[in-house]
Amino acid sequence: MSKLNILPLPTFNRLGVNFTERDTAFETETISVPEGSERQIIQFRETDCETSVTVGKGARLNLVQVFTGRCASVLKTTVADNAQFGLIQLYLGGDNVSEIITELSGYRSGFTAEIGYDLGYGDVLDLNLVADHYGRRSTSEITADGILRANAQKTFKGTIDFKNGSSGAKGSEKEDVILLNESVVNRTVPVILCAEEDVEGSHGATIGRIDEQHIYYMRSRGIPEEQIYEMITRARLERIIKKTGDKDTQKRIYSILGWGDDDE
Amino acid sequence: MKEKTLVADIDRAFYDFRYDEDEKNFLESGITPEIIREISAEKGDPEWMTEFRLHSLDVYNRLKMPQWGPDISGLDMDRIVAYIRPQKRMQSDWNSVPDDIKETFEKLGIPQAERESLAGVGAQYDSELVYHNVRREVAESGVVYTDLESAMHDERYAELIRSHFMKLVPPTDHKFAALHGAVWSGGSFVYVPAGVHLEIPLQSYFRLNAKGAGQFEHTLIIVEENAYLHFIEGCSAPKYYEASLHAGCVELYVGKNATLRYSTIENWSKNMYNLNTKRAAVEEGGKVEWVSGSFGSHVSYLYPMSILNGRGARAEFTGITFAGEGQNLDTGAKIVHNAPETSSYMNTRSISKSGGISTFRSSVVISENAVGSKSAVSCESLMLDSVSRSDTIPSMVIKTDKADVGHEARIGRISDEAVFYLMSRGLDENSAKALIVSGFAENVSKELPLEYAAEMNNLINIEMKGSIG
Repeated sequence: MSKLNILPLPTFNRLGVNFTERDTAFETETISVPEGSERQIIQFRETDCETSVTVGKGARLNLVQVFTGRCASVLKTTVADNAQFGLIQLYLGGDNVSEIITELSGYRSGFTAEIGYDLGYGDVLDLNLVADHYGRRSTSEITADGILRANAQKTFKGTIDFKNGSSGAKGSEKEDVILLNESVVNRTVPVILCAEEDVEGSHGATIGRIDEQHIYYMRSRGIPEEQIYEMITRARLERIIKKTGDKDTQKRIYSILGWGDDDE
Repeated sequence: MKEKTLVADIDRAFYDFRYDEDEKNFLESGITPEIIREISAEKGDPEWMTEFRLHSLDVYNRLKMPQWGPDISGLDMDRIVAYIRPQKRMQSDWNSVPDDIKETFEKLGIPQAERESLAGVGAQYDSELVYHNVRREVAESGVVYTDLESAMHDERYAELIRSHFMKLVPPTDHKFAALHGAVWSGGSFVYVPAGVHLEIPLQSYFRLNAKGAGQFEHTLIIVEENAYLHFIEGCSAPKYYEASLHAGCVELYVGKNATLRYSTIENWSKNMYNLNTKRAAVEEGGKVEWVSGSFGSHVSYLYPMSILNGRGARAEFTGITFAGEGQNLDTGAKIVHNAPETSSYMNTRSISKSGGISTFRSSVVISENAVGSKSAVSCESLMLDSVSRSDTIPSMVIKTDKADVGHEARIGRISDEAVFYLMSRGLDENSAKALIVSGFAENVSKELPLEYAAEMNNLINIEMKGSIG
């Protein structure tokens, strides 16, 4: 068993969030985006994989990863001066352990992460995302939106780490989780580590039910309650799916979700 | 060249006076069965307590040091003196307290506070209480406020102590809880009967004067149904170059629809390892309010815990931590929602400067049966230079869909815009920055009685000089 998803600073042992144990057989993969270039990569992941990514000076990488099975994934990225790394990850069921370590080493390097998940019966997601700010005026913006149904279990550990010297850096992290069954288990650990004075960091999390006022409004317009839940949760995922910007990918995701063609 | 604006470290000179102690009163250093038996004999423990101490020692020897927090490798338990015999038995007449001890507490303002604003006072010096007194009208209302040892030997309370002592914080909880169970000494017992509202606070003050010693006081408070209590705890020690240890334990039982406010201003010296454990159990409709200021010690592990066991029980935690040079203060709170419709609110501030490390660490657990529960956590950190650290490690574990949990945190420095705004209204830059830092600490100071808020402001002692760097 390997220890994965190790929290950069451990916390109370009893919470069971400091690391995850998993049998893994990683394949390795390297992605390099040369200086000044722009790439979009879309991956549907079903096997364990460790991916190393470098985004060269002034380059831009948009990486879309969709997880549907039982998978352990490690994604380590280095972002150079003025480079941008945009990551979209969707977890649509299964049993996934995923680690994302992004090193913002360059001046004005940027990282945006959009994480979406829809987890149901027997699904497990353990996600550890770390944005290491080394570069001056580097930025990170992490959002995670998800739905937990049936007895799904999810752990999201998100860390923004302002290293000494990262002056002018900004990082924000936001997670919004909707719980739709009494048997779900949600663990959220939003961490900010800071060794630099001139930075701005924030994180926020909201976890719970759909706002009762929203439900009341829609019911008063004749929409059945079950349909309301589906509409709201679907709207959340769709916002992220649309950001992939690729029609074929969107179609394939809709198909996995059983949404059909009218959902394009 | 412009000089950087400075916020001074906390001025501890006020607390640094000390008196020499007769070392023949010190038990041998280290933690052994012989020392535990000697402490137990010195204190005339009942048999069950001696057995409890030895069992705790066994647990202590089996448990590992915590691996998830600040480094405590500088703490050599073989060099810590666990018990110091008192010069004199506890007094209820201030004039009968030994002169050097009396002078210590007078310098700290305790007798004056008792006269002006308290319903009762307990004062502990090293291992034992030296003074305990409660106003007559308070005692007549049925409130019991005494040292724990006296209560344990009083047949009216003995069973109450036995059925509550270290039941909330069992020795198996962690290594220093086990240590506490083995060597505890001193501390207070408070019992507030049903329906009694104590309008003015009780206060216990803990002073560790001896070098290389530990203080292990135990505070046990029971607030019965529909009662109200505000309890204030203060602590300080003079600075030595040897490590000292504080591993106290606080257990609070809050009854149905009762409220307990527990305020602490902690100002241990910078050679202190403050490994304290505080926990409250709250019954139906009850409320615990923690107000906590952490300013002292070399290393702190401090996370008051609230267990909301009854429907509609509530917990509030308001805290501030100021970590200066040589300090690694790991503070926060833990809340367990264990019943329906419970609610909690955590609001903290931390300030780091001159290489100090401040860590906010929290956990909110909403268990399966806590349907309809709500929790909100807000923490803000202020970095005053780039040689310091400020970390935020909150965690939320939710096991029901019928709960609402919110969390927000911010970290940063003093905003230039805010300074500019205040300067445009006529303040000079130093005053503007001082005002911003004072405002940042206000969440705690406004929750304290006036005289303690003044003490806290004295502790922060903000001094501004020069202009923006």
